[in-house]
Amino acid sequence: MTHRPCFASCPLLLALAVVSTLGACKPKSTPAADRTEIAIGATLPLTGTEARIGGYFKEGYELAFEEANQRGGLAVGGKKLAVKLTLYDDTSTQATAVSLADKLINSDKVDFLLGTYSTALVQAQSTAAEQNKVPYVNGGGAAAEIYKRGYKYVFGALSPVQLLGTTLMTWLDEQQKAGKLPKPSKIALLWENSSHGKEFRQGVAEFAAKSGGSYEIAVDESFQLNGKDFSPLLGKVKAAGTDLMLVDAHLQDYITMHRQYIDAGLCQKIVSYGARGAENDAVKALGRDNVDYVLSGVWWNAQLATTNPLAKKFVDAFKAKYAGKTPEWGQALGYEAARALFLAIEQAGAVDREAVRAKLATLKIDSLLPGGVLEFPAATGGQMQASFVVQQNMPDGTSPIIFPKDVASAAGVAPNPHCKP
Amino acid sequence: MTPPPLLPRRMAGAFALGCAVLAVLPALDLSPYAHNQLTLSYVMIAGALAWNWMGGFVGQVSFGHAAMFGVGAFVAGRLMLDGLPAPLCWLAGGAVAGLFTLPVHPTLRLRGPYFSIATIGIGEVSRVVFTYWEGFTGGATGLSLPVTAVQKYQLYWWALALAAMVALASIVIRRSSFGLRLLAIKADVDAAADVGISAALYQDVMFALSGAVIGVSGGIFASYFVFIEPGDMFGFDRSIAFVLMAVIGGVGTSLGPALGAVVFVVLRTQLLASYPELHLGLYGVLVIVIILFQPLGITGLLGSLARALARRMQRRIFGRPRRTPPPAPGEA
Amino acid sequence: MSRFVDLTLSTVLLTGLYATMAYGLGLIYGVLRVVNLAHGGVIMTGAYLGWILYVRLGIDPYLTIPIVGAICFGLGVAMYSGLVRWLPRGAAGGPASLLLLFGVWLVLRNVAYGLFTGNDQAILTSYSTRSVAVLGLHVPLTRLVVLGIGLAIAALLHLLLRRTLVGRAIRAVAQNADSCTLVGIDVNRIYMLTFGIGTALSGIAGVLLATVFPFNPNAGAPELLKSFVVVVLGGLGSVWGIALAALVLAAAETYAVLIMPSYLTAAVGFVLLVLVLVLRPGGFFGHRILA
Repeated sequence: MTHRPCFASCPLLLALAVVSTLGACKPKSTPAADRTEIAIGATLPLTGTEARIGGYFKEGYELAFEEANQRGGLAVGGKKLAVKLTLYDDTSTQATAVSLADKLINSDKVDFLLGTYSTALVQAQSTAAEQNKVPYVNGGGAAAEIYKRGYKYVFGALSPVQLLGTTLMTWLDEQQKAGKLPKPSKIALLWENSSHGKEFRQGVAEFAAKSGGSYEIAVDESFQLNGKDFSPLLGKVKAAGTDLMLVDAHLQDYITMHRQYIDAGLCQKIVSYGARGAENDAVKALGRDNVDYVLSGVWWNAQLATTNPLAKKFVDAFKAKYAGKTPEWGQALGYEAARALFLAIEQAGAVDREAVRAKLATLKIDSLLPGGVLEFPAATGGQMQASFVVQQNMPDGTSPIIFPKDVASAAGVAPNPHCKP
Repeated sequence: MTPPPLLPRRMAGAFALGCAVLAVLPALDLSPYAHNQLTLSYVMIAGALAWNWMGGFVGQVSFGHAAMFGVGAFVAGRLMLDGLPAPLCWLAGGAVAGLFTLPVHPTLRLRGPYFSIATIGIGEVSRVVFTYWEGFTGGATGLSLPVTAVQKYQLYWWALALAAMVALASIVIRRSSFGLRLLAIKADVDAAADVGISAALYQDVMFALSGAVIGVSGGIFASYFVFIEPGDMFGFDRSIAFVLMAVIGGVGTSLGPALGAVVFVVLRTQLLASYPELHLGLYGVLVIVIILFQPLGITGLLGSLARALARRMQRRIFGRPRRTPPPAPGEA
Repeated sequence: MSRFVDLTLSTVLLTGLYATMAYGLGLIYGVLRVVNLAHGGVIMTGAYLGWILYVRLGIDPYLTIPIVGAICFGLGVAMYSGLVRWLPRGAAGGPASLLLLFGVWLVLRNVAYGLFTGNDQAILTSYSTRSVAVLGLHVPLTRLVVLGIGLAIAALLHLLLRRTLVGRAIRAVAQNADSCTLVGIDVNRIYMLTFGIGTALSGIAGVLLATVFPFNPNAGAPELLKSFVVVVLGGLGSVWGIALAALVLAAAETYAVLIMPSYLTAAVGFVLLVLVLVLRPGGFFGHRILA
């Protein structure tokens, strides 16, 4: 090395570079009277492992913003203010999600934040919102863990995953009581090693423990995301002679695992992949016949439009904007999170973080979510508690809601009639 | 002949001045965003420089430094949750991360790509094992650390102190006879052994030091981000990030990786914000261009710029008649 | 007993997969001493190429293999003559080539995101979920085909390297590039050809993987890491060594489930990788270049 780096200039150079790139000094805030729009920031995983659902949330956010602005904006303090969304790609990584939230708050000077998707990302990102005292409404962080930290500015519209496990088990329990499933039932419980998977497991395991011996968890194993070979694991499931298989997996792993499930010649009385099951992509990848009677529980489904007027309005608007595409839960939750924030701003009557935070904490609005009401109860640290809707894939290609009863459009089938006893 | 001083007085003075300016910078009504980006830059500077001790000075390119980074972060995090003062936790994290390199010692026999591949293996094993080890890392749920906004603000000076110390250490190591021996190992292990330099010992020392510093920066990083999760902290992407920072800044130069770290932190956020659909590709192109045209990264680029400028000034001052232009240095 | 048979079957099928993934990486390393970090990206590219040919033109995915192979060959030649060629050879080129090709991977990934978004895709044909009965066992057809094609590729590669003039030149260059120049072999051309063939093999592996697994632009990282393990176990550059190494890795991962939680089996391969590198740097099967 013959170069002679100018050591001394390095720190100075560095400071100069950063300061000039970032426009270092605090800009003067615009007085409230001149305000013509409300700046809302968000990041979403548009690339990386969570890109698929990140894209769904983007569509939901965009629709909500478009609708609000078509109405002329939000009515705040006797004035109509347009809403502007600044959206960045956090590449499905936590550090990036936090850094970009920091940029949104401190450099782009957004007034409020909407959340990103996936529990891990929301858990990391919400710390930045809390420390900067910016209201943060998210539809993508499901783990109850996020809301147990005593944060005051973080609100979640997505119900905890644990409830997904509980809801599935409640339906199964009904079937068992009706004599359609053996008692006790042996469960194979497989979960991806993420906080999502861990809470799903907790929901199922707690239900089984409280059942007084009606359920026995015979296999309880976690697996690696984006796995290639699940056959040894499925071999365990087979060897344990289980009746039901409850899995929590990402779409990719659902497809891979279920293909290997079929290959292994397995056929159990009930199979569920948690929130996955009814996706078109999965049907395309696995073939219609192979996903028959797969059970899934989701936060929202377009079928709710038949019983819920707000859901119908959303589905119609969505189809009009996106060429007839049917929204899935991701779009609905993104839309709903944005809508909740908008309503809180209007109700607060000022573009003021504290006032909006206070409104969010007591907000109770009609919602397109199951149950029809959206609120962020203080008892759960600001996390919405809606029931999940359980769907089952039917041989005719539909996936009707089978549970809970008030929104169900068909009766569930158990055990899987395809399997030979 | 007396050896040149490790740190000439003028250089030391300028360095101290630079650090002092940075230390009082937040007093100048610095925006919180710039404040945070600088803090993060310092943490990454320390990490990148420490990576460079192995990858640049010894020539052992590691693709597994995330292992030590994560160990440092989680040890520090655990201790902070037990209520110990943060600086103590970071040091403990660094110490454990340094010790963590000892069982990895046998891989140091490997050279070139073999070592790189082995470190990928070590990084991945750590990721899987630590994600599974719930009692220590919290598993996939991760750890939320008790860090207040004020403490986070103060991290600026802690991180600056760490970065300054590591930078100083880099200069001193580079200029010392110790650094020369490392260069000898980098150039040819066998020849170095022939003249009595024990490659094993030197590499062990450097690996442990590098791991310890990376561990400390991991601990501060954890405090900065408040929430850490093993899948992310031990991820392959994180190991790659250290390599990228060093490459962009200039592998093997004493302070180049520091520049790389700043570019990595600041540019990445800006790129992501401005060109979300192109940021991966832009990164890729940047790496390709640097590798092909300027192996010493930004440092090399600045060097050739400075030389070109000097020539220009010379011409202007002395008014030399222009003849055939000299070949530009650094052109491959 | 049936458990044992099942695991053995899994091992054999997984072997086909791992071997197919690793040939491209192994060949390029064996001859050029360049670790093709873009390998994962090329696998992903191959998967998308196969998928698009199947979905748009209705060509059976297994019949797209020659087309994808040809396209990826071109890609490899371009990568070599545009980029890799200009790197310094020898020790200094090692880390540089890793990073250069990592840059290529990032670009490929970005292109895939731009063209196909981040959605998961999968190739579903009428026979995708069909099984055949072999000795009373359910064997998924696609996995069997992948195993077969994996073996066929090994045989063809072996023949190419052993029985053809080009193959001999490739092996000669792998052993000693300098003397090859002396006897009139255009080393640069051979390097280009090898890089092209290696990339084509990676692309073909992508098609085969796409018939079995769903994929998205992020795909390739686990495949790259697994390929590393296989290539290192097999001794960095021997065709049958790679096949055998794939078997060892597959067996280790599959049987590990008997003694440890399934989640930790993901680490087994990497532990093996480090152990082999440290204990037997030449690989399990000695260090015979392209034997």
